[in-house]
Amino acid sequence: MVRIVLKGLKEMEEFGEKLGSILKPGDIISLTGDLGAGKTTLTKSIGKGLGVEDYITSPTFTLINEYKGRLNLYHFDVYRLEGPIDLYDLGFEEYIYSNGVSIIEWGDKIEEILPEERINIQIEKSVELDERIIYLYGEGERFKQLIKELNID
Amino acid sequence: MKTLAVDTSTMMATCALLDEDRLLGEFSLNQDMTHSENLVPMIKEMLDNLNLKVKDIDLFGVAIGPGSFTGLRIGIATIKSFAHVFDKPVIGVSTLEGLAFNLPYKGYIVPIIDARRNRIYTGIYNRIKGNLINIVEPTIMEVDKLMELLQEEYDHIIVNGNGTLVYRDIILEALGDQVIMAPKNLNSCRASSIGELALLKYKEGQRDSYYHLVPEYLRESQAQRELRKRDK
Repeated sequence: MVRIVLKGLKEMEEFGEKLGSILKPGDIISLTGDLGAGKTTLTKSIGKGLGVEDYITSPTFTLINEYKGRLNLYHFDVYRLEGPIDLYDLGFEEYIYSNGVSIIEWGDKIEEILPEERINIQIEKSVELDERIIYLYGEGERFKQLIKELNID
Repeated sequence: MKTLAVDTSTMMATCALLDEDRLLGEFSLNQDMTHSENLVPMIKEMLDNLNLKVKDIDLFGVAIGPGSFTGLRIGIATIKSFAHVFDKPVIGVSTLEGLAFNLPYKGYIVPIIDARRNRIYTGIYNRIKGNLINIVEPTIMEVDKLMELLQEEYDHIIVNGNGTLVYRDIILEALGDQVIMAPKNLNSCRASSIGELALLKYKEGQRDSYYHLVPEYLRESQAQRELRKRDK
């Protein structure tokens, strides 16, 4: 597990953009954190790093938003879903096993159907206003490679 | 009876217009999944070139799956809205039956659509007195399971569908001389086949409603998923 402290919005954006710039086809990010922790904010920066020019908005109501960038970005918010079955109905597998990048907010709610090889990002609020603590953890070679490329430990 | 049909079950977006005897036009594009942007302009292009309008259509046909969930929803929503606006009949056709219909072959016809992660949507068909008969109902299974089934129980097989591209080596290794791979022009989903089947089914009395027509996703059952998880 890698722990990063981000002091303020600007550092969050820098981290997101860097991460977005090194993502590869098929990468899956599961984002967790309380309401207002910054999941959508981080996704916006990751999108920017992926070359998405559209304005990224929260998929809370639409469930999935799709963006075109250097790679396709599929942005999920599974907060409202009852469970994994709902996701199969959406055609979830078409997205996560595609050549795009999937970012899943509240991914912990559907952990059982996510591939083991994924990047988990947990965002926590710090005691300092605007400071965020980010935990990165995951399994597999791709995760190790990504941490190396992020050059943070 | 002018029939407009579409199939967006796979990466191939295809629309066609038929009358009783002839194929009047067909427009197919095999691209990245961009059906939501392409399908309606494609239909318009085809109709414009034929000097026809949507209101001139008497019957609508659409492939209802199995296939890409997103793709199916785009095709079905499009056709349902056309049929609704002009209050015309609509017929849903199995994507696999459509693929099988491409092939005028005396033997076993096995359409194969990729369902990702070594899984396929498939069924087995043959023709009796020219009529396409479904022998093994559309299902989702692992490609290896289908190969076992075909090896043991079938001969004179022809396969088509995008799964034959993804699993080409596996198919050839398992079936060798038992199997023919369909030529490219018959390998993909074609709206002309969906349209002809829709017309045939309409004449046989089938009626689907634009209120009630839904995709046939063919999801893996809970039991299949559990098994897969255990194997993992």
